[in-house]
Amino acid sequence: MSRRRVAAITRRILSQFRRDHRTVALLFVVPVFVTGLLGWIVTESRAVPPRVSTVVLSPRIADQVEAAFSAADADGAIDYVAKADTEDAARRQLRDDEIDVALVVPAGIEADILAGRRPTVTIITQGIDPAGDARAAAAVGRVVATAVGAGAGGAVGPAIERATVYGSPDATQLDALGPIFLGFFAYFFVFLLTGVSFLRERTGGTLERLLATPVAKAEIVVGYIAGFGILATIQVIVLLTFSLADVHVPALGPLGAFSLGLGVANAGSPLLVFVIVLLLAIGAVNLGIMLSTFARTELQVIQFIPIVIVPQGLLGGLIWPVESLPDLLQPVARVLPLTYGIEGLRGVLIRGAGLDDPTLQLDLAVLAAVAVLVALLATRTIRREVA
Amino acid sequence: MDAAVEAIGLTKRFGTLTAVDEIDLALAPGRIYGLLGPNGSGKTTLIRLLTGLARPTAGEARVLSHRMPSREGLASIGYMTQADGIYPELSVLENIRFFAALYGTTDRAALTAALELVELADRAGTPVFELSGGMRRRLSLACALVHRPPVLFLDEPTVGIDPALRVQFWSHFRGLAASGTTLLVTSHVMDEADRCDELVLVLAGRVIERGTSAEIRARAGADNLEAAFLAVSAGNRGR
Repeated sequence: MSRRRVAAITRRILSQFRRDHRTVALLFVVPVFVTGLLGWIVTESRAVPPRVSTVVLSPRIADQVEAAFSAADADGAIDYVAKADTEDAARRQLRDDEIDVALVVPAGIEADILAGRRPTVTIITQGIDPAGDARAAAAVGRVVATAVGAGAGGAVGPAIERATVYGSPDATQLDALGPIFLGFFAYFFVFLLTGVSFLRERTGGTLERLLATPVAKAEIVVGYIAGFGILATIQVIVLLTFSLADVHVPALGPLGAFSLGLGVANAGSPLLVFVIVLLLAIGAVNLGIMLSTFARTELQVIQFIPIVIVPQGLLGGLIWPVESLPDLLQPVARVLPLTYGIEGLRGVLIRGAGLDDPTLQLDLAVLAAVAVLVALLATRTIRREVA
Repeated sequence: MDAAVEAIGLTKRFGTLTAVDEIDLALAPGRIYGLLGPNGSGKTTLIRLLTGLARPTAGEARVLSHRMPSREGLASIGYMTQADGIYPELSVLENIRFFAALYGTTDRAALTAALELVELADRAGTPVFELSGGMRRRLSLACALVHRPPVLFLDEPTVGIDPALRVQFWSHFRGLAASGTTLLVTSHVMDEADRCDELVLVLAGRVIERGTSAEIRARAGADNLEAAFLAVSAGNRGR
């Protein structure tokens, strides 16, 4: 092994990067940026106290419960929003997103306590975010234990039954994340594919050639949208089928029994899910065309992922709800298209939202507007003048 | 007779560099023009201005009296770029069909004729990534003339093509010219230049000499074009 030849290769690699400032930035600046963003979200995310409403159907312990919840509100453990007269009223509050948790104390609870039986109360959550729901239910459970448990002579707290307005209290993180990854991956892959394809048009000389034909720039953009739209459509059908299906395959010979598909619960219309993902994909096609202007190589297109895709994943509500983000980041999240895609997918798949749902209307409107805006911008980046 | 291609005071500056400097040209229909000049003399920029791909800093370019870039002008030109400008993942036929479709040509016979001309008819189904460099060049040419445009811009069309096919190319160019097509061919191979009806010599973005090969040689007092070109450019640099 010749030391001189090895040194020559090493030196060549370093010299190449000296002229590719963007890659150098990727190596040093981007990880700092992404990690910084992540750190900011993790440390500054507010543990928003859950908004609670109580329904006490047993008048004799009503004061006791209210006192305990008011005290917890004062401590900042919960946000005691309101009392409700009936369970239906509390469920309506949950559905209208006025509260996060409702506590229902049944009428027969005194009899249970007097008879020395362990009483049972019900905690109802929205059922959209299983992890968040579990945290909120636990907070309420602690308050209940002090209120009702004290009444039972300081014995163990009451047994807690969980219920949800949407989905099931047994929902897993997969049920909550499944639909969202659907949108995220469609967005991500379509962006990557278009970015690289269009970059090849620019660098391979075919764009130059296209522009020397009577083709209009808008025709190129619409053609790309249709082409990649068809690919995204197939992708969405495959992903959606896989997420929603739960086909049990019985054991056969040496093969054990297994399930095909994730069996994610779907409360809404698959067609609406499809429309949301398609709108996201159209936005991604145009973003790919637009950003390919700023890349010279395929490597540089890939470098847009940590800058364009990762922050959208961090801020869009994929893992942390937008409401819990630091104050400064919330408006940022509110201008990212993926935020609306994720919100819309959650709305349809978990809440079963239809076209009459105002939140879904807003999501669809924003996604459509972004798709059109980025299409116009993408058209502008295709210039007859390439050099 | 109206000129097929015109440049009127055509100028292109990139910052402080003047790539094309007030060029006036009028190319008559049915002739083959050779655009000659060393690397970096502005040949490709001039072609890009004439095809409407670059916007002139001053002056204008016209094709069949249409100021470029215009839909009508673009429909009547064929442009073979220096890079092959074809899709590697598509087959030979798919490439040519795509470019034909952009010009509104759906005529199957036109596709076949173009493929036969470049001797790729038996390769119609082959993906481009399997073709040799010379074959790609030939396909690139076929894509530029599949719609039978009245004006053809060919940027270094014969690079990487073997001598036998080169001769064939030129006889075909001659045939196209005879049927009224105007061709502007760039090259820095001087023996090819002898086959053109008229030569335009450019240096540093300016036309330094025009005429037939014989005229240019005579004026420079040189017995071959290469020597004539060197003499003319030396004279120009000295000025």
